[in-house]
Amino acid sequence: MADAVAGSMRTRTMPLGEGAAAWLLSLPAVAAYALLLLLPTVAVAALSFTDFELGLPGFRFVGLANYEELLRDRGFAISIANTAKFVALVTPASILAGLGLAMLIEAGTRGRAFFRAVYFLPVVSLVVAMATAWQYLLHPTIGPVNAMLRSIGIAGPNWLGSSDWALVSLGLITIWENAGFNMVLFMAGLTAVPRELYAASEIDGVKSAWERFRLVTWPMLGPTTLFVTIITTIRAIRTFDTVATLTQGGPNKSSELIVYTIYQEGFTFLKMGYAAAMTVVFLAVVLVLMLIQTRLVERRVHYG
Amino acid sequence: MAGIEAKAIVKNFGETRVLKGVSLAVAPGEFVSLVGPSGCGKTTLMRIVAGLETPDSGAIEIDGRDVTAIRAADRDIAMVFQSYALYPHLTARANMAVPLVMRRLDAARRLPWIGDLLPGTKAIKAEIDAEIRRTAELLSIAALLERKPGQLSGGQRQRVALGRAIVRHPQSFLLDEPLSNLDAALRVQTRKEIVELHRRVGASTIYVTHDQTEAMTMSDRVAVMMGGEILQIASPREIYLDPADLRVASFVGSPKINTIAAEADGDGAVRIGGAPTGVVAALRGPLTFAVRPEDLSPGAAHGFAARVEHMEFLGEALLLHARLESGGESVVLRLDGRAGAPAAIGASIRLSADPARVFLFDAQGKRVKSRLAGSPQRAWSALEPAHG
Repeated sequence: MADAVAGSMRTRTMPLGEGAAAWLLSLPAVAAYALLLLLPTVAVAALSFTDFELGLPGFRFVGLANYEELLRDRGFAISIANTAKFVALVTPASILAGLGLAMLIEAGTRGRAFFRAVYFLPVVSLVVAMATAWQYLLHPTIGPVNAMLRSIGIAGPNWLGSSDWALVSLGLITIWENAGFNMVLFMAGLTAVPRELYAASEIDGVKSAWERFRLVTWPMLGPTTLFVTIITTIRAIRTFDTVATLTQGGPNKSSELIVYTIYQEGFTFLKMGYAAAMTVVFLAVVLVLMLIQTRLVERRVHYG
Repeated sequence: MAGIEAKAIVKNFGETRVLKGVSLAVAPGEFVSLVGPSGCGKTTLMRIVAGLETPDSGAIEIDGRDVTAIRAADRDIAMVFQSYALYPHLTARANMAVPLVMRRLDAARRLPWIGDLLPGTKAIKAEIDAEIRRTAELLSIAALLERKPGQLSGGQRQRVALGRAIVRHPQSFLLDEPLSNLDAALRVQTRKEIVELHRRVGASTIYVTHDQTEAMTMSDRVAVMMGGEILQIASPREIYLDPADLRVASFVGSPKINTIAAEADGDGAVRIGGAPTGVVAALRGPLTFAVRPEDLSPGAAHGFAARVEHMEFLGEALLLHARLESGGESVVLRLDGRAGAPAAIGASIRLSADPARVFLFDAQGKRVKSRLAGSPQRAWSALEPAHG
């Protein structure tokens, strides 16, 4: 009895209040967040108001000059437009491909693990390493893709070398990469759909696979689809390695995407202040996009 | 009105034999409970009747029509799932509309916007709406129709699930443990409501439960299932008063029936630890002597000796737990609660069983014919179990 009282006294006379303890416990996470995310972002935002160039000593505060220049920069405008087109192609296509693959594999009875591994391979293979393979596959004269097209009487384009096709080619490669990743997410979502709902829909007289998809699968995948859409959009917007290894933004800036442009301004032309301004604009656009997407979709998503 | 018949259904899941040739016939409009411990195959049998599972052999007939090869969607059966299986993204109204929409509107009319433009769609939809309203009023959930399942309590969800099942006036009705997710008070109330609903709807009903009280109180007939077989199908009264199998006798009744090792001597007179019981068996040798707690009484001059171990006062009844001195079996007596305890804990008493209420079972658990000592041979039939 005396022990119990002493015990409770001890808890009450803890040197820290509950709030302080909470802060102490979340300190590592808060520190990491501030150090690795908040601080760099603030630093970039601050740099965007300067004319800092890599290698030059010192820098000046230039106010909104970098942003004014951005407005007049035709290259930046092209890059933004390219990125928008790229995202509009890649996001829906890789979501649909991922969903389709997941449903096909789930519906099958054999070789699930095999097909899952096969379609997931592009995700783990590095684009940098795959670049040579893609360059060969998509080569206008000796590439197997065009050889195949020729055999059915179609003259294939210069996939990576023509300004009409370079962006599309990069898009297709990115879809190939993303589909496997989305497939795994959708497969996880599909296993979470209660089997009883399919039984109930059968009892209710739902006969076609399409009706079953509309009544059960699609609504139940809502949270997964929201997540996949956001992840895929972000991945598409941030595409860099494919551009850097396969087209370097060419020909004639036709496949230049925003992150590649920022990289070039900052690390090729060493205009850090200007690149920082681009980054800030890019960040703002992405944030607004995510906000709209979440607000719009979340209203219609049902969480179990 | 349709009857449901399952004929010699066999189902194996890999090596496990889940159903070993089960036959069950439900008369038109009849309420039959499938009761048994979990894992006895009752839910599998129901899913086979529904068409959600295919039997390895055997046939299902509904209203005299062989539906074994027909998919669930075409069987005209309704089912209430244990988890209710309501579509969580649809309102109660939309949930109840699904079976009607799927059956009455063809694919073109189900299309959003375009469907409404086709002639007749509006009329059918109005009709569906009216039927949902009628069913909702019957179940007193009319005020909840615009809510989604997530905004409903367990009992309300269960009503919506019932509503979705009865809204299209099914000929056969399957319920899979529909009360198991409700709290005790609600369960008793809903039990009564389902029976009343069945009386009004009149569909042939199979009701799966592991709760013997539900089975006994609700059904016209009870099918007791164990280990993939139906041990007995009979009225609740017969199941209780005339069990065909020791497992049936043990499963039904609370507290559980007392089982005591006994011996039938050369004349068939059944003795427990040498003491006569007043029962004659149609078998010689060891057997199981079973008697319900209310048919066992203390204070007999030459009954079997036991020691009082424990007492539970329930108000209307007093449960007296005692241990037999002969075989060491623990037995329970159900005594009148108002009469007071017949003996103190630790005291020795002598017990006797009402010989007319005793069941005898052989080593396999099958019922053995018995009669009262001193009664003529033809009295065998008095306690003979009614099979089939």
